[in-house]
Amino acid sequence: MKRKYEGETVDVVIVGAGAAGGVLAKELSEAGMRVVVLEAGPWRDPQHDFASDELAMQQLGWQDTRIVDGADPLQMGHNNCGKGVGGGTVHFTGVFLRFHETDFNAKSLDGVGEDWPIGYADLAPYYDKVEKEIAVSGPKHYPWGSFHGPYPYPERDPISLNAQLFAKGCEKLGIRWVVSPLAILSAPFEDRPPCINRGFCTQGCMPNAKFSTLIVHIPKAIQAGAEVLPDCMVTQVNMGKDGRATGVTFVHNGTAYEQRAKLVIISAYAVETPRLLLNSANAQFPNGLANRSGWVGKAFMTHSSNDVYARFDHDVRLYKGTPVLATTQDFYHLSGEVARGYTLHAHGVRPLSFAKGISKSDGNRPVWGSKLHEAMLDYNAYARITMVGEVLPSPDNTVTLCDEKDLNGMPRAKVTFSYGDNDKLLIDHAVSTMKGILQAAGGKPEFVVPDTAHLMGGCRMGSDPDSSVVNSYGQTHDIPNLFVCDASIFVTSGAGNPTNTVMALASRTADYIKKRASRMEL
Amino acid sequence: MKRLTRYPSYNVMNEQHEWDEHTRKILNSRLQTSGNHSFLTVVEAEMLRSWCSLLVDDHRPEIIQFVLDHIDQSLSSGEESQRKPGIPPAQVLVRKGLEALEKACQSIHTELFFHLEEEQQKQLMEEVSQGEAVPLEVWRHVPQQVFFQKLLTMSIEAYYSHPEVWSEIGFGGPAYPRGYARMEQLDPWEAKEEQRKA
Repeated sequence: MKRKYEGETVDVVIVGAGAAGGVLAKELSEAGMRVVVLEAGPWRDPQHDFASDELAMQQLGWQDTRIVDGADPLQMGHNNCGKGVGGGTVHFTGVFLRFHETDFNAKSLDGVGEDWPIGYADLAPYYDKVEKEIAVSGPKHYPWGSFHGPYPYPERDPISLNAQLFAKGCEKLGIRWVVSPLAILSAPFEDRPPCINRGFCTQGCMPNAKFSTLIVHIPKAIQAGAEVLPDCMVTQVNMGKDGRATGVTFVHNGTAYEQRAKLVIISAYAVETPRLLLNSANAQFPNGLANRSGWVGKAFMTHSSNDVYARFDHDVRLYKGTPVLATTQDFYHLSGEVARGYTLHAHGVRPLSFAKGISKSDGNRPVWGSKLHEAMLDYNAYARITMVGEVLPSPDNTVTLCDEKDLNGMPRAKVTFSYGDNDKLLIDHAVSTMKGILQAAGGKPEFVVPDTAHLMGGCRMGSDPDSSVVNSYGQTHDIPNLFVCDASIFVTSGAGNPTNTVMALASRTADYIKKRASRMEL
Repeated sequence: MKRLTRYPSYNVMNEQHEWDEHTRKILNSRLQTSGNHSFLTVVEAEMLRSWCSLLVDDHRPEIIQFVLDHIDQSLSSGEESQRKPGIPPAQVLVRKGLEALEKACQSIHTELFFHLEEEQQKQLMEEVSQGEAVPLEVWRHVPQQVFFQKLLTMSIEAYYSHPEVWSEIGFGGPAYPRGYARMEQLDPWEAKEEQRKA
């Protein structure tokens, strides 16, 4: 393998080229640092390696086996983990929301979950920066949270029939709605065209209208001198006798290599980040790196993401257009029996996901045979709404190592997840709201599909080294030149899509590293 | 009476000249199945042919052959994203499940699964889907519901990725580079409804 920095000690090695890794690579290399990015998956070319096809594009997901346990074992892969340069941004829906002020102090406000060591104001300038950098499209006025717009680019127009029905239902019920803020262009930007409503956002955007770090941040990082190595699985963070990280070991085509670095940043997402820290245990750190607190792998979270499908007496055609084009956050912060809240999106879907979903709509009685076939003949008559529901952190939801090993000899990750009582009440609340909106729009709700999305937590940030893994900049409490920067540092899950927050946090971490490095403090 | 497509003369493949080359190649390959399996034995493939036809309620040979090819390919790759503790890897799960199925059919009906009457087949499938198939001895080491779900998921993946099935449900299909231009009306190449049950 040809390597730019073979045998050298670079300034920074970044593990993972996803939402966070991409931002860090760009920011740090543009600041003149020598950066190497190691990505477990391939480097794809959107125009030649993506296809308008769900089955072929399942490969965008992380398909290596994870062991899933708990009362509500997670479905892993395409719907929550990316693999390849760009990571999950390659196949996310592009929904680009900010967290609300209330997301940072769940404990103080509602007596549940935890408080973050930072508030909304700490992230606001970074949200601004990221949204501007990729020309997020959205409404002139955004009614919820602390940011009310306008977004850098105008909202998408026109919107799909599914989104129009959502809007109609909301209006009948007095629920506010907007055209969703999206990391998808509504007009040309830099060298990229506006969206053509092909509808395959989660199969990888072929026209490059949807942002991903594959097409935006990684090329800029390379332009600034970064080296990006695909198909390189990092198996170990290497440590020196002085208790500082010295670099990483990675495997490419069955051969192990080392990359030495002054600074190691792990941006490998909520399962692989704890897995790597735990697998890097040594005599000095017998329970895994940065795990003095015992919180590595703990308080792992997902979002509840149940879908409701309703049948209409006319065609809706869920395949047309950007999947998410209408949103409400009127239920973002509930009060009463249910704590916290959720976001609702009108959410288009292609046939494979539709069929897979409704086959699971009846709990332990799979829908198959003629029942499935008949429903599918009316695929075009269904509308769908999806929730993004806050799931509270629980120390019992974990990422751990199991005895079984993968082809690199690395123990497989075991992901244990169970919903808590509040999580279940919240899902019920949201399902009932979704049914109500679809009914108000003239539909008949027929299928409720249990689902989850987005992974967070497992290396949470905090001020107290005894109950958290990193500080608010992602710097591990135990090892000053080892950083974690991705959704695993989330303290709570929030009730909206997390990618904007992941990138804002990465941008803030990059600033911190630049300042500290220039003063030789890292 | 069995419901039929609302778009009988629609064929999504008629638009393939508008698609990018990569997508066009992938979809054309689905119409030309091989039947050469690298994981499934001949008997396993025949059992699955009957089983999967009933899972998706369709017996058209060329479409079910694509379902079998996909299952064979998935099992050969060994990729499965996740499994629960104590559940064997997909390859073992499917092989042991089919073995148990064969033994169960021999023991109860003294016939192979694909020789049973359709109603008998469906009854047995319903039992497996609920984890209630007998004789217990035969199914002891096979988690029936996980086995059923695995085959259902793989069958759905393939079946609802077949262009002929897309045409029947009126899915407009790939749209690159041209995109969908009209949100409220149909683009000229989309399926138009021709009949609909009242």
